[in-house]
Amino acid sequence: MTTLMRDLHLAHPSNVEAAIAARRTHPGSRFIAGGTEVVVNMRHGLSRPEMLIDLSGVDELAGIQINEHGLRIGAGVTLAALARNSEIATSYRAVAQAAEAIAAPGHRAMGTVGGNLCLDTRCVYYNQSEWWRQANGFCLKLRGEICHVAPQGRHCHAAYTGDLAPALLALDAEVEIAGPQGRRRISLGDLYVEDGRAHLALTEDELVVAVHLPFDPPPSAYAKIRVRGAIDYPLAGVAVALAAADGLVKSLRIGLTGTNSRPFVLAGLNAIIGKAIDEKALQDIDRLVQKQVQPMRTTIASAHYRRLAAAGLARRLAAALFAESSP
Amino acid sequence: MTAAAKGNGNLGRLGVPLIDGIEKVTGRARYTADLEHADALVGRIFRSPVSHGEIVRLDVSKARALEGVAAVVTGDDCPHTYGVLPVAMNEYPLARERVRYRGEPVAALAAIDAETAERALALIEFEVRELPAYYVSADAREPGAVLLHENKPGNLEREVHHEFGDLGVGFAAADVVREQRIRCAEVNHAQIEPHACLAEYDSLTGRLTVQSVSQVGYYLHLMLARCLEMDTSRIRVIKPFIGGGFGARVEVLNFEIVTALLARTAGGKVLMRLTREENFLTHRARPQTDMKLKLGMRRDGKITACECEVVQRGGAYAGYGIVTILYAGALLQGIYDIPALKYDGYRVYANLPPCGAMRGHGSVNTRHAFECLLDRMARELGLDPFAVRRANLLHAPMRTLNGLTVNSYGLDECLEKVERASGWRERIGRLPRGKGLGMACSHYVSGAAKPIHWTGEPHAVVNVRLDFDGGVTALTGAADIGQGSSTMVAIAVAETLGVGLDRIRVVAGDSAVTPKDNGAYSSRITFMVGNAAIDAAKKLKAVLVEAAARKLEANPADIECVGETFQVHPGGQSSLPFAEVVKSALAERGPITISGTFTCPPESQGGKHRGGAVGSTMGFSYAALVVEVSVDEATGVITVDKVWAALDCGHAINPLAVQGQIEGSTWMGMGQALSEETHYLDGLPAHASLLEYHVPTIVESPPIEVHIVESHDPNGPFGAKEASEGALAGFPPALVNAVANAIGIDLDELPATPDRVMEALVERRRQGRLAATRGAAS
Repeated sequence: MTTLMRDLHLAHPSNVEAAIAARRTHPGSRFIAGGTEVVVNMRHGLSRPEMLIDLSGVDELAGIQINEHGLRIGAGVTLAALARNSEIATSYRAVAQAAEAIAAPGHRAMGTVGGNLCLDTRCVYYNQSEWWRQANGFCLKLRGEICHVAPQGRHCHAAYTGDLAPALLALDAEVEIAGPQGRRRISLGDLYVEDGRAHLALTEDELVVAVHLPFDPPPSAYAKIRVRGAIDYPLAGVAVALAAADGLVKSLRIGLTGTNSRPFVLAGLNAIIGKAIDEKALQDIDRLVQKQVQPMRTTIASAHYRRLAAAGLARRLAAALFAESSP
Repeated sequence: MTAAAKGNGNLGRLGVPLIDGIEKVTGRARYTADLEHADALVGRIFRSPVSHGEIVRLDVSKARALEGVAAVVTGDDCPHTYGVLPVAMNEYPLARERVRYRGEPVAALAAIDAETAERALALIEFEVRELPAYYVSADAREPGAVLLHENKPGNLEREVHHEFGDLGVGFAAADVVREQRIRCAEVNHAQIEPHACLAEYDSLTGRLTVQSVSQVGYYLHLMLARCLEMDTSRIRVIKPFIGGGFGARVEVLNFEIVTALLARTAGGKVLMRLTREENFLTHRARPQTDMKLKLGMRRDGKITACECEVVQRGGAYAGYGIVTILYAGALLQGIYDIPALKYDGYRVYANLPPCGAMRGHGSVNTRHAFECLLDRMARELGLDPFAVRRANLLHAPMRTLNGLTVNSYGLDECLEKVERASGWRERIGRLPRGKGLGMACSHYVSGAAKPIHWTGEPHAVVNVRLDFDGGVTALTGAADIGQGSSTMVAIAVAETLGVGLDRIRVVAGDSAVTPKDNGAYSSRITFMVGNAAIDAAKKLKAVLVEAAARKLEANPADIECVGETFQVHPGGQSSLPFAEVVKSALAERGPITISGTFTCPPESQGGKHRGGAVGSTMGFSYAALVVEVSVDEATGVITVDKVWAALDCGHAINPLAVQGQIEGSTWMGMGQALSEETHYLDGLPAHASLLEYHVPTIVESPPIEVHIVESHDPNGPFGAKEASEGALAGFPPALVNAVANAIGIDLDELPATPDRVMEALVERRRQGRLAATRGAAS
């Protein structure tokens, strides 16, 4: 048998305000969109909501709009729809590639942009059954006292493994958040905190409504490392957005996932602006990635490998994008 | 037609879809978990949270008192051990006195619904005095280590020391002697259907009916009788549709006995369905293996001697362990000519879920080490990998040094097929950096020639029935677990009788109706059950021919049945349709049931040395594989671009099914080679889901070009041998050899995951820098 699902209530709000109101009224509730993560975590006993607030009927979360201000992607857009959108595939390629690289076709048909951005952090000591975690004395992230990854510390190292976030970060995205106090729009990077236990800068009754991307973005690409070519979460994922003209880099942003408790933008790339991507620049990128990623033993694959692979991917993507724009 | 025939190994015969295929693809097939269970209680197992310890207290009274709980059982309810090998039954269905691995069943309960069962589980109180736990073979073997089983010193279930031929002479004759250590991670069957069992006990009649996912209904029957202290005649074991076995269900499993215990205690029906995590805890798969292999080779590639040490981390209980450690040594033979061989095997106890049999049982890891070292030595000697294999071929019929009989041998033809199909000669050494070709060979038994349970009975029995309806029913205890064995029986009977396949109905795996069968393991069914089916059909045919001859007033020797018509040979004018002959035969003797049998002759049952029966078989299948890979040096990711697989199955009774089995076994070998491994954290399985246990997906699945080779075994049914396992063991070494060809790195550990490849690349760069520094300094 699959692990038991408890009886629970379902709410079907038709707009954002009603969804937030339901969330406020029922402290034991949580939002559900595609359910590809929520349901699995419920079966593992990682989450025990009394009520699920189904967001599939909220119109405002649907749809992709493009105009002269840029691109708006509703949080309820499925990953499959995102991957097959031709405008995104051409102009925001990293986003389409990231969407296409998530899990398997069934998950992509159900999973949503908002769900992927708000993915819980993952750890080999956490994403296990109730029996397993209990036998292990639970862990800092849930019901336990110690982090089995770094038992000396008081910090949870569970890793963020969403694929979309690095692509959107590289393209300088903003997220629109709705809450009881109204709307706010923040840089996507500010949605995340380097804390495996609480990696989202959202209050409990806030909801990601949409993602906004600037018009006319630089060329971009995303690649991830995993043991299998499908289903797996990224051991490391890298998105690069790079514009070049006349053989010189005009802009360069690199987003990373899978290695830390949050996705983040690589710092220190300014030195490369105005130069060519040559072996020296690639070595600089390699060094910056290796220095800034902080993989811990949260996966079966070794942390060191994730560091090396992240650097390898960043080099490859930067070189390829530079070659594309400086033929 | 041409294209399809080509897909079947250029045989020009297509074969037929499996006779139960329609039920499966339409969803009509009922697997154990689908059976009628509206009135069944929900069974759940309470499992040990600790790796090793003495049970101080187990209190189930609160669980038992909970409303809706119908039965609770513990080790006290079953004082009998169970196990597949009569000499090594050291496991209780529910732990008694001691627990030896995390996840070991300790108690079980049946409740009116899943929620009640879960609440009851939480009420069980369990206290253990912990003992040191061992997760690594070397730690368990340390002097002074606490023994998992008091009667097993050194935590060894079995040591094997075999030596054949003169090692000294052999190594002295070699131009090159090399020794290599190779490690293979533990893997799991990961069969898609999770374990399930439905047991019903009728308190009024005292009868028990068990429906389970077993590959070995007969052994289950015996163990139920033993553990429940019941007369075998009061038990009925039925096999529903089964969603894959691969060895996962080839011994009786604790949850099957536990479900029956619960059903009897509750006096009703209990359905037990295990989670995927519990499937991994039940385990019984291929052990983590450390190997040290030494080969002597002449300049022309001829092997002169082989020395092999194998250490298998077998988990907490004996299971099939003795057989696995014996197979690992015995099957070094039977494929190449090795004039001197020494084998030292150690089966070690550790505080982990027990290992067992898995597709290619015992042979896969040693074959991997052997084929890798063979390739490395060939490279050193400047020999082509194909040439090295060809320098060591056998010539059937022959008997190996360790007493295995080889009656048919198509390896040379397998080599030719994949060499040509892959364009090996034109392409090897000419591929760009990062691309490589590798090859390897393998073989496997067509059933163990000596049964595990010695009864003196024939090794296989098939009954055929013929009644007024003119339908021929073949009754067999053989478990079709998806491999197509029922279809094979139908074809064997139809072809022997000379009637249409649709006239045959196969009833399989119901102890109330079908003759006992030892089960679906060691690829025994086609060879043994196939021969028994042919024997039964021949006997039935004799009855029908007799009847036809009487009616046609001809000599029985002159009667032929072709296309369901009996006629006098040759080309006689008078003929009779099948229905009339049946009517005539039945008039004489009423409805007919005839038994056919098959027994492996004593000379095929292996050497006389201790353990010599393991590895013995009536016929070996042979396989040669070529694997083409691309290796990404930036990430360590290996992509398998294409596979060519040739398998000598003697004769393809059903080419379509043979092709499927070769593809399936090749693919399963790819899983072990590329990505599958278990990973325990202090004895807890970190891999216990299909997310973390990396079975390849369709994305990693390369085109597999299958070539069927038919060496026409003199004893096989229509000349057939096994086809389901032989190709598996060739894949991992072919892949590792291809990686060496692509990037010049020899991987000594399976699986070849990206992090292992990367680690090897980093190490090579480090060595390169060291060498450069030393060069600069000198």
